[in-house]
Amino acid sequence: MQSNLVDFIQVLRTHEVRISPAETLDAMEVARRLGYANRTLLRDGLAMTLAKTPEEEVIFLHCFDRFFQQDLSNFSVPEAPPASEAEPGSSPELDAAAQAAQFSAAQVAALQLAAENNATLQSLLQTPLMQNLLGNDRTELTLAMNQAAERVGLQEIQMFTQKGQFTRRILDAMGEEQIRNAVIALEQDESPALPVLQRYRDTLREQVRDYVEREYLLHAEGKNRQFMDEILSKTRLNNIEHLYLHKVHELIRKMAKKLASRHSRRRKLLKRGRLDMAKTLRKGIPHDGVMFNTYWRQVKKEKPQILAVCDVSGSVAAYAKFLLLFLYSLQDILPKVRSFAFSSHLGEVSAYFADHPVEKAIELVNWKYGGATDYGNSLLDFANLALDDINSNTTVIILGDARNNNGDPKLDIMQSIYQRARQVIWLNPEARRAWGSGDSEMLRYQSACHFSAECNNLKQLERIVDQLLKSSR
Amino acid sequence: MHNQDFPQLASVEKIEQGFESHGYICSRKIATAVFLAFQLRKPVLVEGPPGVGKTELAKTLALLLDTPLIRLQCYEGLDEAKALYEWKYGKQLLYTQVLKEKLGDLLQGAQSLADSVAKLHQFGDIFYSEEFLEPRPLLKAMQQEKGAILLIDEVDKSDYEFESLLLEILSDYQISIPEIGTVKARTAPMVFLTSNNTRDISDALKRRCLHLYIPFPTVELEERIVLSRVPGIDENLRHQLVAFVHSLRELDLKKAPAISETIDWARSLLLLHAEHLEEELVRSTLNVLLKYEEDIDATDAELRALVKGNTTTGHAG
Repeated sequence: MQSNLVDFIQVLRTHEVRISPAETLDAMEVARRLGYANRTLLRDGLAMTLAKTPEEEVIFLHCFDRFFQQDLSNFSVPEAPPASEAEPGSSPELDAAAQAAQFSAAQVAALQLAAENNATLQSLLQTPLMQNLLGNDRTELTLAMNQAAERVGLQEIQMFTQKGQFTRRILDAMGEEQIRNAVIALEQDESPALPVLQRYRDTLREQVRDYVEREYLLHAEGKNRQFMDEILSKTRLNNIEHLYLHKVHELIRKMAKKLASRHSRRRKLLKRGRLDMAKTLRKGIPHDGVMFNTYWRQVKKEKPQILAVCDVSGSVAAYAKFLLLFLYSLQDILPKVRSFAFSSHLGEVSAYFADHPVEKAIELVNWKYGGATDYGNSLLDFANLALDDINSNTTVIILGDARNNNGDPKLDIMQSIYQRARQVIWLNPEARRAWGSGDSEMLRYQSACHFSAECNNLKQLERIVDQLLKSSR
Repeated sequence: MHNQDFPQLASVEKIEQGFESHGYICSRKIATAVFLAFQLRKPVLVEGPPGVGKTELAKTLALLLDTPLIRLQCYEGLDEAKALYEWKYGKQLLYTQVLKEKLGDLLQGAQSLADSVAKLHQFGDIFYSEEFLEPRPLLKAMQQEKGAILLIDEVDKSDYEFESLLLEILSDYQISIPEIGTVKARTAPMVFLTSNNTRDISDALKRRCLHLYIPFPTVELEERIVLSRVPGIDENLRHQLVAFVHSLRELDLKKAPAISETIDWARSLLLLHAEHLEEELVRSTLNVLLKYEEDIDATDAELRALVKGNTTTGHAG
């Protein structure tokens, strides 16, 4: 049972419930104390040690029910044979037998009758597998199936394409080959018992297929999701198809949340620290050195402020969507983010983000600020709007390709931002070697940035924002 | 706490009964959590919407076990000086002043400066001993001879730094004081942390705790709670009011009414001698249940349908 519990925890992990070894030990202890007799009690107890958020609890309950599902597979052969299986060679006696109450017994008899003329079938009927099938011994069969699955390593299943392969391997491990051989032998003899045996074979196959399907859902579903997330976070943003947009959205939210929880500690202006001995002594002098009052060292904490400026013009349209998405998520979580969008002119969009759901907000921003790029003009707008608010606690993030259609770059404004802000960061979706080519002003703008980076997939974006938040302390 | 034997905590059923005798009707899940917390020596992190009885759980357990309840209310800016311990600086300073004269006597007979320093060393760190230590809730809980229930309330309101501070206490039941050393709990207390989910609690803290989520109760459970807290209320009215509160929770409200509000409302209805829910009555007492003007406005429009739907189901039940 213990290894069973470990397996279960493995399954939970693939479903993105994070469980540490210490928690595994706790879970074992819980199972030991509560016992396995009362299912609900065990479930509640395990949930307390393994699922640490309401969301995880939902996943936990779902997996628990699936994993500890105690139904045995049903191997009984269907009463009436399906029409497709009724071969032309099947005798009328067999159909009559199907009507009979002692259906199964008749089938066994039919097989035995046929076996007298067929050595392959004869030996097949002696195998434990066939015995169990004939007797419809569900416990034995389920057990055999589980053991076979373990032997072929079904838990390693990763992709849905492997399902057929695993089904075959399990069938082989269970000794289905003999049934197959017997079917071929019967076919050659054109024996009347053929459809009977075929039905047994099909039932067995069907059950194994279902079983593999269940195990696949349990073990591989989570892995597949992780795989997908991994791929998506590495794909260039403009290559991600529309289909996956909602998936990416979730991914970005996750990232933003991770970043925010790492960095958005609430700050207080003053914190009572250690005793300030020097001051206490000094203030005691008027009282003849008697230190009536105690004084404390005060720790000043800074509140970082982030201004994010995003280019939404045609040349970066594909990226802009993701950048806006990221901004949206970030603003959702970090309270002190102000967002701006521009192409030919610039405006603050924080209010859109705050008031509307994400798709609507992005649409609105694109509609209001989309168009041809004019960095010079936009920087001017930005300076009017926010330059006064930029101080030594401010981090300015600019997302754009710096392609200015050969207009005036207004580098002086950029420089004054650079001088005031604690940090100016430029994230450019273009590859570094394209910077400065054609109408790109990137090299010039770069001179007025503390940090500039190429950023065109989510992994890069995450890393950069993480860095930036760290250094903005 | 854990090395003692509490017959009240022997099994999940016992805990359920014990809580019920103190007027706290708990679900099987809550009882299981208390049982495991005691058996595994683990703190419990209790989460859930406000007013479902998170704090009450710890209070009732203290009553049940007849042990002191030590409560630490968390807030932004809470630091170790308020939560763990503090040196009695005033006392230290005063003593140094008073003892100034004594210093001459002590150093009498010292030949050189080195000699006097050596003499002073003999006295050790008297000013940093337990005499000068002001215990705050967490240290106090460690010092209890017979164990205690330690309630760390609304841990999500505190800062991240404070959470890290808790880690040592929660996993080893000890506190390190640099000047003295490690103070181990005489008897490990049973610890309950509550959170309203205003922010995510760090994984490190969660890992050390059992996680108990208390949702809004089911209709049956809530009726039992109302019965135990407001025994005088008419049975029919009880059905109706609980059903009504449940239908309110399904609406999109800023703050859904919790158990404590249900109880308050039941009490007010009892005072008003109501026998069954009527639209006017509900409207005039709605402010007991809903705490935001916009929620009251939003409900007002649907009040008739809600009351009507519930009185019929109430009769049926």
